[in-house]
Amino acid sequence: MLAGGGSAVQAVRQGFADGTLASGPWETGKDFGSVDATPLVRARVALRGLLALPRSEAMYFTAQRDSSGAALDGSCRYEIRGGRFAARWWSITLYDHAGWLVPNEWHRHSVGSGAVPAQDADAWTIAVAPAEEPGLWIPSTGAPQFDLTLRLYHPGAALRDAPQQAVMPEIQRVACGA
Amino acid sequence: MSRWLAPIAAGALAAALAWHLSLVAAPFALMRVAMNRLGASGRVNSFSHGAPTRAESQFVVRPSPDLLYSTCVYDRSSGPVLVDVPAIPDHYWSISIFDARTDVAAVRSDRDTGGAPARLALVAPGTTAPPGYQAIALEHARGIALIRILVSGDADYRAVDPLRQLASCRAG
Repeated sequence: MLAGGGSAVQAVRQGFADGTLASGPWETGKDFGSVDATPLVRARVALRGLLALPRSEAMYFTAQRDSSGAALDGSCRYEIRGGRFAARWWSITLYDHAGWLVPNEWHRHSVGSGAVPAQDADAWTIAVAPAEEPGLWIPSTGAPQFDLTLRLYHPGAALRDAPQQAVMPEIQRVACGA
Repeated sequence: MSRWLAPIAAGALAAALAWHLSLVAAPFALMRVAMNRLGASGRVNSFSHGAPTRAESQFVVRPSPDLLYSTCVYDRSSGPVLVDVPAIPDHYWSISIFDARTDVAAVRSDRDTGGAPARLALVAPGTTAPPGYQAIALEHARGIALIRILVSGDADYRAVDPLRQLASCRAG
């Protein structure tokens, strides 16, 4: 019994082939919040994003690594580069590994499409770094390891049907350490 | 050799069963925790309007700091629960109904209503909705109704907050 229960917990925590799609470092589930969800998907959603919306309303992509495959590290400076999405609005939010916002003195945890200047909408850069920066910046202060969740509200049909083919933002590590 | 097959098969079956039970039970357990946390005031069938999310005030994992959340722990066991969401012009907003095992029974956004208010009746299967309400049939009596409103900063929050206070979740 323990083996079964334990491996179920592992499968839910880690996520694996069943129901997961990826484009670069960004991973998403196939069927969040849907009655078609398998028990594994449903349990994973309950643990990692309770009260998440179904894909017709919103899609959630999470990156735990940069575009070269290295784990995201709070002592490093990153640049996320992207453009427009086939969605009504989007936001990128930084969480710790357990899925909680990390306290910081600026009370800043995300950058959304509403904050991107119109002239940069096709090619924007968001910095993720421990020290304050002008422009689009998410503090990684106090987060040894973190992940990023990209929300896309009212995604278009192509994105919903084949998220693994979507062009997603690059996450480039620029420098590490103080 | 053959005398080990039955115990091994039984062990594998028990592990598979535990796997399935753990997975099936997890959403109910987590939803119960969320409902208890949200309904800590003891209020059921009533919206509670959360302040803008801060790291110090997170009620559930992966909250979005860009969204305002209003929550109602509903219980339709004594009859329909009526959920009214007012129009909130020029903002993304949605109401979603989650059942006791985390499934989404309904989502209505400003896109779905064409900007008009949303009026939902949470009912037991086979029950009709009062006039003017759309019936949402729910197998499980309890769950969470959740309003999301996209806001951009403090001034926007202050403009939107009085509007969302008009939302209601009440026994019909």
